[in-house]
Amino acid sequence: MTHIFGIDLGTTNSLIAIMDGAQPRVIPERDTGNVLLPSVVALIAEGGAYVGDHAIELEPHLRRGQDGHVSAAGLSSGQAAIVVRSVKRYMGLGGSDLAPEDRHRYAFADLSAPTVRFNVGSRTYTPPQISAEILRSLKQRAETSIGEKVERVVVTVPAYFNDSQRQATKDAGRLAGLEVVRLVNEPTAASLAYGLQLNAEGKVAVYDFGGGTFDISLLNIKGGVFEVLATNGDTHLGGDDIDRALVDWLLSDTQQELRTDRHVWNSARRAAEDAKKRLSDADVTEVRLDVAERRISKTLTREEFERIAEPLVRRTMECCRRALADAHLQPTEIDQVVLVGGSTRTPLVRRQIGELFGREPLCSIDPDQVVALGAAVQAGVLMGTQADVLLLDVVPLSLGIETMGGVMERLVHRNTTIPTSTTEMFTTAVDDQTHVDVHVLQGERELARDCRSLARFKLGPIEPQPAGLPRIEVNFLIDANGILNVTARDQRTGREHSVDVKPSYGLTDEEIERMLEESIDLGETDIEQRLLINARNEATQLLTALAKQLKDYGELIDSEERLLVDEAAAQLETVRSGDDRESIARLVEQLNDITTPFAERIMNYAISRALEKKSIEELS
Amino acid sequence: MPHVLTMLQCPSCARRQEPRIICSQCGVPLAADLDLFAALELPRLLQIDIAELESAYHDLGRRIHPDHFASAPPELRDASLRATALVTRAYRTLRDPVSRGLYWLDLYGHKLAENNKQVPPDLAELVFEVQEQLSELRSARGEQEAGTRETMIDLRAKRASLQGLMDELYAELVENFAGFDAGGGPDPDRLFAELKVILSKIAYLKTLLRDIDRELDSIKAE
Repeated sequence: MTHIFGIDLGTTNSLIAIMDGAQPRVIPERDTGNVLLPSVVALIAEGGAYVGDHAIELEPHLRRGQDGHVSAAGLSSGQAAIVVRSVKRYMGLGGSDLAPEDRHRYAFADLSAPTVRFNVGSRTYTPPQISAEILRSLKQRAETSIGEKVERVVVTVPAYFNDSQRQATKDAGRLAGLEVVRLVNEPTAASLAYGLQLNAEGKVAVYDFGGGTFDISLLNIKGGVFEVLATNGDTHLGGDDIDRALVDWLLSDTQQELRTDRHVWNSARRAAEDAKKRLSDADVTEVRLDVAERRISKTLTREEFERIAEPLVRRTMECCRRALADAHLQPTEIDQVVLVGGSTRTPLVRRQIGELFGREPLCSIDPDQVVALGAAVQAGVLMGTQADVLLLDVVPLSLGIETMGGVMERLVHRNTTIPTSTTEMFTTAVDDQTHVDVHVLQGERELARDCRSLARFKLGPIEPQPAGLPRIEVNFLIDANGILNVTARDQRTGREHSVDVKPSYGLTDEEIERMLEESIDLGETDIEQRLLINARNEATQLLTALAKQLKDYGELIDSEERLLVDEAAAQLETVRSGDDRESIARLVEQLNDITTPFAERIMNYAISRALEKKSIEELS
Repeated sequence: MPHVLTMLQCPSCARRQEPRIICSQCGVPLAADLDLFAALELPRLLQIDIAELESAYHDLGRRIHPDHFASAPPELRDASLRATALVTRAYRTLRDPVSRGLYWLDLYGHKLAENNKQVPPDLAELVFEVQEQLSELRSARGEQEAGTRETMIDLRAKRASLQGLMDELYAELVENFAGFDAGGGPDPDRLFAELKVILSKIAYLKTLLRDIDRELDSIKAE
């Protein structure tokens, strides 16, 4: 059986690793010995790509021409070229999903399309295509070093990645000529590496603060079982955002036009990032930048840096608290905190983690490598060399369907262990209906319109039947990759229904946090809305049923009683579409009371009819 | 829901057998339609040791999880996925006594009424007072009133006694489970009726406690 390799496809750096006996190890670049491959890709219009250091070398040589096109002066004939950083921030997203600061970073073709496309001269590239270049580079690195073909891989993703972001990652693998056997969540992978190396047990918090995303996962490790209890995060929060805040500080005295110049901004970003790194050890540093003909020189103290970074770090602590609440744990019940990602090197981060959990975090494993090492361990599990390890991960956000009245009915709750499946029964609302529409949503809000659309599909064709008779079983299965699979079956015939799924484009980074954040603040308003809709539905059903009963069994009610019933029904009808939930409930109860004798008479009548029929059958 | 006993054939070793979660001969996962007790290879007993349940779940997981069938033929991979989803659901349902009780009702064809608007008669007075206090706090929101503070303190005390009632109900639940496991006695229908009442009360109290907590939390936040 061929080896399976582990890949950390990171926002800032990517790595490839493999199991070496009982322990994983990262595979270095043969010539330089580097284990980190910067996730930077230079794309040349006429074709060709450079990845990593080669791409970074190209970056300062890019010049903006008179026509606004960026080209590489260092290349022959000044071909059009771009250098893309942090392409992970664009995976699985459409133009309208992009954060404002990401939208202006590069030249994009048609931002209204479902998939973002980067313009390079007359060609366009999608994020999976660009990520594939990184994967191809890692593939070559491993093949050169090991002397064996790389075909099957495990690739890590942020725990918060939605369905289409995960799909985009699998697509990138395919484009690079690789079979992505499994996607693993980054914090979970880190816990595998940590658990294996230190033979650890107990409740572990993995704090993963990388270049572009933040994840916190709480796990219970026991006897080789790695069980995720809860996960939370922010897919639009990373070291990049701290860099951005620093750039704003650095260029605050500079003219507006220079600040928006892409070239200037890139230089400033490089200077800011280097300064940030120096401040992990030093208390103060000089930041120098050459802009136009000037030199900008500013002194940055660690204190000032922490003031700038503090709001961002605070957001990560909020996510930690939410995860602890979901897992029903106190911070002090956590036995160990594992740090993942380069951004955890910041003293401010370590201090705040120490304050929240009441203990020093663990960073004995290089935070830049731990995810790749974990991916290799998972690869080992899949190859069968780690028979004792059982990984039980969870789905990060609730999944549900849109039901009557625009309510989101949750089918799978967030932090449910995967794989998981649930079956729902669907039927038709009108006679001879040929298809049933199902709208699948992701999110924590009560109303469908506030959640994110994941997919729509049609069940059918259904044979013509009276309304309410068809019974179609729909199975929602979330697999071990965290990806949704839908199948449908006609319960009576056992025949599989065709499910024509139209995926919408999933959550944006901002929307995921916004959803979770808002669902906590607005939880109560939402519940009120939902109760109101339920009350309205109940009223409607009651009135409809009553109308039918009056039609079919009118002779069982005398005119005096009928008047009372009609009046009560009219009162309910008046408030039915309004917002006064209490009045609706009160009038529903009133109508129920008034129609109870009538309902009893109907039942008695039905029973005596049934008995009559039976006697006639017995006689004949 | 009674399960029709159709024989299964193992896709791996071809052994024919009654529906099980793993093949009796070669041990691979089977895509069988099983009740949640059978899925975890447990007897139909309501009293469950949680540590043993977790052990069963983990041991079974190691044998059927899709991670261990990554290189297997598609049919086996599919069976592994479905079997694991079922086992996961079984563990989640049986681990909590309330969801376990609800499942038991469902398994034997009894239905718990969905909308529990009925106040349990013995709680009526306490519930009425709590609702009044919640109402008072909701309308006084944002305003600092001495009366409100008193109401809050009393509400906290009521919350504590409601929690005490909840604990008693859980104890009743355990007794009811023991009744079933002892064979149901001369009148098993009585046990089912009793189970429904206990679960209804627990559901009602849960909602009430949640409403109280929500109100108290929002006051804390101000």
